[in-house]
Amino acid sequence: MLEKQYLWRIYWRLAGVIMMSVVLALAVVSYFSHRVFERELVPETEQKAATVGNSVRALLLKATSFGVPFESLYGVDQTFKGVIEENKEFDYAALTDATGKVLFKYGKEPAGASDFFRRPEVLATLQGERPPWKGFRNGGQYFVSLPVASDKPLGILHVAIAPEFVNNVLLEVLLDVVVVLVVSLFFTLELLNFMAGARLASGLGEFAHQVERMRTGDFTATARMRANDEIGRLLRRIDAAVDHINVRYEFLVGELEDKLRKASGARREALKPAVAALESIKSRFRFGSAAKEGDGDEMNLNRIRAPLFAFILAEEMTRSYLPTYVNNLLVPIPGLSPQVVIGLPIMLFMLIVALGQPYLGGWSERIGRRKAMLIGAAVATIGFAGTAVAFNLYDLLLWRSLCAVGYAMVFVAAQGYVLDRTGQANRAQGFALFIGAIMVATVCGPSIGGILADNLGYRASFGVSAIISLLSIFAIARLPGAEVRTAVSQRPARGPRMREIVALVLNRRFMTLTGLAAMPAKMILTGVCFYLVPLYIVSIGNTTAMAGRMLMVYAVMMVVIVPLAANLSDASMRRDRYVSMGLILSGLSGMLLLLSESFLVVFGVVFLLGLGQSMSIAAQSALVSEHCKEEIRVYGHDAVYGVYRLLERLGNALGPLLASLLVVVWGYQGAFVAISGVVLVCGLLFTIATRGQEPVPEPVSP
Amino acid sequence: MSSLRAAIIVLLATVLAVPAAFAQGAPGANRPYRIYAITFRGMTDVEKGFTDYFTSRRIPVQITFRDLNRDASRMAGFLEEIRQTKPDLIYTWGTSVTLGVVGPYDKVDPSRHITDIPVVFTMVAAPVLAKIVPDLASSRRNLTGVYNVASTEAQMRAMASYRPFKTMGMIYTPTEQNSVVVLDEIRQLSRKMGFNVVAKPFKLDASKKVTNEGAADMVREMTQQNVEWLYLPPDSYLNTQTKNLIIPAAMESSLPTFASTEGLMDTGALMGLVARYHSIGQFTAYKAEQILVHRMAASRIPVETLTRFSLQVRMDVAEALKLPPPLPMFNYAELLTPGPAPAAAVIPTKAK
Amino acid sequence: MGTIRFRFIMVALVVSFFAIGMAAFLNYFKYKSTISNIVKSRVLLVGQGIEGSVQASLQLGMQFAELSQLPQLLQRERQSDRLIRGIDVFDTNGQILYSTDRARVGQKASDSWLDAAQHAKAIEWATEEPDEFVAGLSVKNAFNLTVGYLALRYSREDVERATGVAGREILLAALGAFAVIAVLAPIALILVIRRFERDLSTLDAAASHLEDRAQPQPVTEGSGFEAAISSLRGSLSEANKSLDDLRARLDAAG
Repeated sequence: MLEKQYLWRIYWRLAGVIMMSVVLALAVVSYFSHRVFERELVPETEQKAATVGNSVRALLLKATSFGVPFESLYGVDQTFKGVIEENKEFDYAALTDATGKVLFKYGKEPAGASDFFRRPEVLATLQGERPPWKGFRNGGQYFVSLPVASDKPLGILHVAIAPEFVNNVLLEVLLDVVVVLVVSLFFTLELLNFMAGARLASGLGEFAHQVERMRTGDFTATARMRANDEIGRLLRRIDAAVDHINVRYEFLVGELEDKLRKASGARREALKPAVAALESIKSRFRFGSAAKEGDGDEMNLNRIRAPLFAFILAEEMTRSYLPTYVNNLLVPIPGLSPQVVIGLPIMLFMLIVALGQPYLGGWSERIGRRKAMLIGAAVATIGFAGTAVAFNLYDLLLWRSLCAVGYAMVFVAAQGYVLDRTGQANRAQGFALFIGAIMVATVCGPSIGGILADNLGYRASFGVSAIISLLSIFAIARLPGAEVRTAVSQRPARGPRMREIVALVLNRRFMTLTGLAAMPAKMILTGVCFYLVPLYIVSIGNTTAMAGRMLMVYAVMMVVIVPLAANLSDASMRRDRYVSMGLILSGLSGMLLLLSESFLVVFGVVFLLGLGQSMSIAAQSALVSEHCKEEIRVYGHDAVYGVYRLLERLGNALGPLLASLLVVVWGYQGAFVAISGVVLVCGLLFTIATRGQEPVPEPVSP
Repeated sequence: MSSLRAAIIVLLATVLAVPAAFAQGAPGANRPYRIYAITFRGMTDVEKGFTDYFTSRRIPVQITFRDLNRDASRMAGFLEEIRQTKPDLIYTWGTSVTLGVVGPYDKVDPSRHITDIPVVFTMVAAPVLAKIVPDLASSRRNLTGVYNVASTEAQMRAMASYRPFKTMGMIYTPTEQNSVVVLDEIRQLSRKMGFNVVAKPFKLDASKKVTNEGAADMVREMTQQNVEWLYLPPDSYLNTQTKNLIIPAAMESSLPTFASTEGLMDTGALMGLVARYHSIGQFTAYKAEQILVHRMAASRIPVETLTRFSLQVRMDVAEALKLPPPLPMFNYAELLTPGPAPAAAVIPTKAK
Repeated sequence: MGTIRFRFIMVALVVSFFAIGMAAFLNYFKYKSTISNIVKSRVLLVGQGIEGSVQASLQLGMQFAELSQLPQLLQRERQSDRLIRGIDVFDTNGQILYSTDRARVGQKASDSWLDAAQHAKAIEWATEEPDEFVAGLSVKNAFNLTVGYLALRYSREDVERATGVAGREILLAALGAFAVIAVLAPIALILVIRRFERDLSTLDAAASHLEDRAQPQPVTEGSGFEAAISSLRGSLSEANKSLDDLRARLDAAG
């Protein structure tokens, strides 16, 4: 569509400008922060160096008091080494004699240090009224020098403050700033859509629609309210032109009819050509008022995006730190290992969502999508607030269940909302919008959540989630309350029946796809991303912000690769091969932990996992209709997909459970490897099971 | 929710407490715990640590001390007294006393050994080797205890932290199984940590008895074999030879010596990693507390040693060898001086 | 100002506000944690010295509750750093055994202290009081049993003054940056939007002349709209032509 591409070109250009402004702003803030840091931190660090130096000096004097001559002290460098390794602010320490000759040293010697040690003002600290310590600046280097003296002057102890120390502190913030930048980009695109795009897109869409209508000769006037902006003005002009031509037509028709009524005989004959012309006009054009269309839905469809994004964001924000929070609240449950207990809230959440979804669909239809979303968001808000003030694990489980129920309600109702407002033609587009909002939330949520948790603490971060969830309530409240039904959504939704579940679970073809591909894919996703990564990253001494960055890498992979893979899998290769490759890549991801235990390897893990998941995710559900034609014929499309989704979501719930059990047995690294191993085996089995079949590809149906 | 749980806990506690309160004569608030303690060679700091622990924890105990005084014939009388007085717990000092009370685990004689009263042993160097317990994790009998030697690896590391070495020497008695076991351990460690071992056994005379003949020469030879440390294992015969023979020979060759026990340290070694008797006594009392107060089965309490040993350095020896301790060691080592402690150093006081 | 332009500028401002806010937030908290860590580690260094002495006494068989030299040592160490307000040593029940403030001896340490100390993963622990920070160490005996805790109270004011100064400056820098962006971003955006607006206004102009019979002026090249406009124009003029035809025939009929 011409106008869509045109709009996106504008969006990207606008986003580019906004990003450049943001980068500039961040540079300004960082520059001033650096100045403040240096000015305020250096004196504090000098104080600390003095305290450290003081204890080293006490030790030196203790040794000499036992009769060890000052020059033949042993292992002074060991003491220095300890000091420098424990305090990253210092990078060099030296002990000189009273003339400034270096006796012992450790660390990277700063340039000009030996000259500095002999400078008279430095040596003067040892003379007369000795100060306890003195700070010096030698070039860009800060030194703290302490005189060492028993009954006579012995020497001077120097501790050097690492010049790059302040830079290093800011460098640690830099990673987070990059995260903020990435998130800002997504926010920008999302906001362009919310604040301007939705109206602009629907305005331009309307324009194109109007052009198309007129081309086919439809000049019926639409009594539509036009937005008060440039596009609205444009549309009003077209409306005016249409109105004019309608008036002209009405007038002519009236005149003709009038004449016909008055005319008789020859006069009537003379009017014949005019009547014929009118007939021809009537056959080619349509005038008058347009039938009231159930249109404007594209506009309303877009409006779901903001509240959905905000709501999902609230939940996604907790992903990177929830397990660590649970770890802190842990109460021992007899007979359950702590690792499993940590996984419980995540598992419970996934389980509630999995089991709730099929049945909430009908409910949301009965009480209305908007109302269902309002209730869901309210329930989740209470859940978030409760989690923030949770007393211990038991009530935490309750609060998280509320979040899960709310999540399932909003998710299902929003899905229904989209379903109600799309026809066969724009269904895919509608879901792209739905998935898009969720994707952007998964990019922005965990990383920002991790940063917040790191700086504000877990409870306050849950508070932020509660506020965002609350805000989403207001956004939902602004959605149109009127319920819309298209032909497709008329059919009442229902959960899969037990009979169908049993029959399908026992069905080999169906289970090959579900049990070997869909469930393992979800298991490794929740097991690794929601459970293992947050816990492992923190367990090796990293921050929750780092865990958030990891999850962001995964989400960015999904955003970038999924559309690519979706296009490719329709065109170039058999869908089941994509699923195989995706599973095998996911299955290889955790194996990376065999190479090293560094957190950098975890980046590789989420990268591969993201790649694998995004390759298979689009092809997977399309495969159901491809591989299980027979089953769909017997049980119906809804039942087969219903059971498929149910089992897939149960895979979500199994992930944390499996991962936690593996951690109990083999530790974190072992769990990474083992869970990947399971998926790898499933991937290989799936490849073997689907070998040889060459089903005719069908168009993807969502 | 939590108050409900609290209520349940209170209820449970009441149910459990009632029978306990009715059981007359149970030790605790009204009656002290009775402990029967047998020492090997009179009272030491271990017993002081043992009693101090109960005092500081305000646990009422009534301890009956009996001394074997290195005379095994007294044991039968003690066992008889135990059977009559039925104490709550028995404390045994050293390998011989412990074996006398409980017997080796594979040869328990119920008519002679005590099996129905929990026993806590202390100052046993190698409880597994002495067949007191089959396994340190669990005695599988009605006893537990504390051993008093740091792991060989910890000792090697302590030596290396004073002065790193490539070759270490060791003199031991080939007929003492304890020393042979230690030598095996050291050989294993030497591969792991990367050093050489020069081990020289004491000679045996015609009647297969250990003699100190040529021992001083063995020490002198070591310096030619690039030995940098002389390790003194927990060896009874060696213990009798260090003060007058081995250590003087080492000093003559400027060879630093490392003591594995407090006894060897006392004979003049440069340094040693030793368990303080007082701490050992406290740890023994801690195990007794678990049995008496917390009602844990003795068999379920692991046999352990201290986690922190005392690193002792003899400063006059260090000075004579011209090997001052490394600076960090002044922070944590116990520095032994022959005379009075040196005057406190003058430290400039901070003005700020 | 066009409403579309206004909306785009709003987007830029909201996003910049978020990004600058987050960056300021990150820098501020980084500063705060860095300075608290520097100060805390400095205080703990004093604590480690005391702990070493207590350890040495315990090794010699002294009881934790009977360290007669400890009060003097605490007094000396407190004076060594102006930041330290007081040092307390308490046992595992929370009872304060030694303190630089005589009045505190025998009292119970605050529950939050005991809680923080007992739940710390390492021997170091820390907690906060309304007017002071507390950093401490667990004192463990030779068999790794915790016998008590050392707590060093230090001035909250000093740390917070330093943080406050930095916070204010970072806030100022952020506000300044935001002000700059609030001026620059709209200008830059207008440059980009101008093209779009020009497209729209030509479209608008074209639309306002839709019904003109005169030869249409060409619509700006490359806007992507010329086809749509000429199609519109074509449709309209075709309809009008048919109506003209009808008019003519009507007129012809008289």
